[in-house]
Amino acid sequence: MAEVERKKRLADYGLHSERVLMRRKEPGVFERELGDLEDKLMLTTVQKAVAWAQGHSIWPDTFGLACCAMEMIAIVSARYDVARFGAEVFRSSPRQADLLIVSGRVAHKMAKPIRQIYDQMLEPKWVIAMGACASSGGMFANYAILQGVDKIVPVDVHVPGCPPRPEALLEGIVRLQEKIIAGVPPAYEIRDVAS
Amino acid sequence: MAVVERAKIYEGTRIPSPIPTVLRVDPALREEGDILQVNFGPNHPSTHGVLRLVVDLNGEQVVGLEAVVGYLHTGFEKNMEQKTWWKGITYPARIDYLSFQYNELVFVLAIEKLLEVQPPEKATWMRMLLCELNRIHSHLIWLGTGALEIGAISMLWYCFRERDAVLDLFELVTGTRMHTRYFQAGGLAEDIPPGFFTECRRFVDYFPRRIDEYEAILDRQQIWLERTRGLGLLSAEDAIALGQTGPVLRASGVDWDLRKVQPYLAYDQVDFNVPVYENGDVYDRYKVKMDEMRESTRIVQQCLDGMPEGPWIVDDRKIVLPPRHELHTSMESLIHHFKLVTEGYRVPPGEVYVAVESARGELGCYVVSDGGPKPWRVKFRAPSFAALEATATCMRDALVADLIAIVGSLDTVMGEVDR
Amino acid sequence: MSYESVPGFVSETEALDETTIVVQLERLVDAARHFRDELGFNFLADVTATDYLGWNERAVAGYWGSGTGRDINRPGSWGLATKPDPKAKRFSVSYHLVKLASGATEAPRLRLQVWCDDGDAVPSLTPVWPTADWHEREAWDMMGIRIEGHPNLTRILMEEDWEGHPLRKDYPLGGEPVRFSSEE
Repeated sequence: MAEVERKKRLADYGLHSERVLMRRKEPGVFERELGDLEDKLMLTTVQKAVAWAQGHSIWPDTFGLACCAMEMIAIVSARYDVARFGAEVFRSSPRQADLLIVSGRVAHKMAKPIRQIYDQMLEPKWVIAMGACASSGGMFANYAILQGVDKIVPVDVHVPGCPPRPEALLEGIVRLQEKIIAGVPPAYEIRDVAS
Repeated sequence: MAVVERAKIYEGTRIPSPIPTVLRVDPALREEGDILQVNFGPNHPSTHGVLRLVVDLNGEQVVGLEAVVGYLHTGFEKNMEQKTWWKGITYPARIDYLSFQYNELVFVLAIEKLLEVQPPEKATWMRMLLCELNRIHSHLIWLGTGALEIGAISMLWYCFRERDAVLDLFELVTGTRMHTRYFQAGGLAEDIPPGFFTECRRFVDYFPRRIDEYEAILDRQQIWLERTRGLGLLSAEDAIALGQTGPVLRASGVDWDLRKVQPYLAYDQVDFNVPVYENGDVYDRYKVKMDEMRESTRIVQQCLDGMPEGPWIVDDRKIVLPPRHELHTSMESLIHHFKLVTEGYRVPPGEVYVAVESARGELGCYVVSDGGPKPWRVKFRAPSFAALEATATCMRDALVADLIAIVGSLDTVMGEVDR
Repeated sequence: MSYESVPGFVSETEALDETTIVVQLERLVDAARHFRDELGFNFLADVTATDYLGWNERAVAGYWGSGTGRDINRPGSWGLATKPDPKAKRFSVSYHLVKLASGATEAPRLRLQVWCDDGDAVPSLTPVWPTADWHEREAWDMMGIRIEGHPNLTRILMEEDWEGHPLRKDYPLGGEPVRFSSEE
């Protein structure tokens, strides 16, 4: 691929996301809404700076439930390296973590511990529902599995897959970063269920 | 520095009574001592999943232990009763999510036993190859996360580098990294794509050197030895009484491997050793798993050399979908396709119990069929379920720091325990 | 070999290379001790409870395949509906036993089975094989088969205060109907 001579940085051309693989593709609904949001919310420079810092340093909690946890550990590994996105360490204590990645199926017995952990996290906090089971119960439509973790905690990003590839989870984390930087409030401020 | 006397394997039995799986605090100790009950809750940083241990501590020493499970109970068995045999194969992979193909294998072997159908040679050898790669995958994750908990953090990155190489192989042949769902009753889902054998050979060529690297890092490292020798002792009699199988049993000195004593697939046609160690401690379980990775590489090499040609699935249209090109010309194929997809194939009534040697031990599947297109009862005998029963016995004279090492060495996967 | 000498022996069946020995419920512990001590089955692999409620109600039709083709003399293989043979009692508890010896070259297996109805108590085999502890708790939790003499009969997989026994055939699968966003 030939090196195009650029006079300005890519961001100054209007490209904010790293998904520039598809050269002719315009920004999707998500990016356009985020772009509009920035104008509408009229954040102050300080707010934008704080959001930038928060978004680029999200530290997840070591919360692995089932198969998705294996792919979540994989994003820590050298090939998919989540540290370059700011998630430098996975904190063991929920009080030190910003992000709860619910990775795996949530049994009814586990619902109470999850809510406890979510409550122990300090605000601002975000939740990613990783995989089909955390988003909606997945293939387990039965008595034992909570049909979606957004019944007990407010979820910011759902990542589909069974299990989602590490790249898919990274996409979810990147979208969450873009949301935060654009100024979208965390889910507990906009959802009225389980907040 | 004083040399710590390392505990040796014990005589007699250490299984607590009256409840074999619960270590109760000595009442005398409860009165005189200062017992603290700590909850190693379902969410703890070690990645064995959602296990809850209620631990009584006297200072640093563990004097009481009870394991509480069920935080990942998924209701697999009830769900599988509602799906046809073919669609139900998707479920078992999620039970033991580290060695996922073993669960599919055992379920598919049970169906084939009831159907009394023998898959073609190529399918058998390919299943064996993929299952041994899966064993390597499971042991790599165990080593990476187990060493991480004990403090050898760099092992995580090395092991996951190799794990990604194995998952690349799975993706090449089955289309997805985990939960491949590649086995069907009668053989494999699809033919093996070109390029797989070359890549697999390349992996097998460099992998033993990687195991050498891991052993060079850990085997004689003083901290590793201090933290794993003489801990979590389990004698052979106790292990058998507590239903242990797999690396835990072999580390206690019992030479028992289902691949040798009741060969399934084509294990009697390949040459491999079964590592057995005598001390029954955490270090020996680690050694057993390292040696098993080497032996698995040998088996994969032999599978690659001896892979037969031929069909990848049995030719019986009553259980296997006909090839697509036949649907345009043959009425019978169309009818078979229709019946198989809508209703599913029927399995004759009966009950079977099939066991395979998964990465954790004897993984068994008990299937009851009523002759219909859906199973009547499916039960998976999970080796981790039995392994957790041994925590109370292994935890005698353990300190808090040893607790994590011992539970890690039992190599439990909570998806399997809770099903 | 003949298993007539097992205490409480009822029947022995051989099918698909597997032997199933049915014993009387009352003599289960004696039979288990006989298997462990006299016959050498020192390893209990699995305890499975099965609920046969509704077993003989529906007829299943259809043909099934085999490696050698369709057996036209096999009942049900012509597509005519057949019912499976009725069972005398509702629950069966199967104990899968193995004769485990270090360095052995074969693995003799056996299924020890007892049958019981709803409300019957099955004696605990924890004194014979300690590994039966959790398996029997699971049988109680999932199927509601009361185990008599068990040192710690509490729910293991479901919550402590759960009502009902999920794997029974009259317990619903659960879950909730899927809502589609276009339906609002």
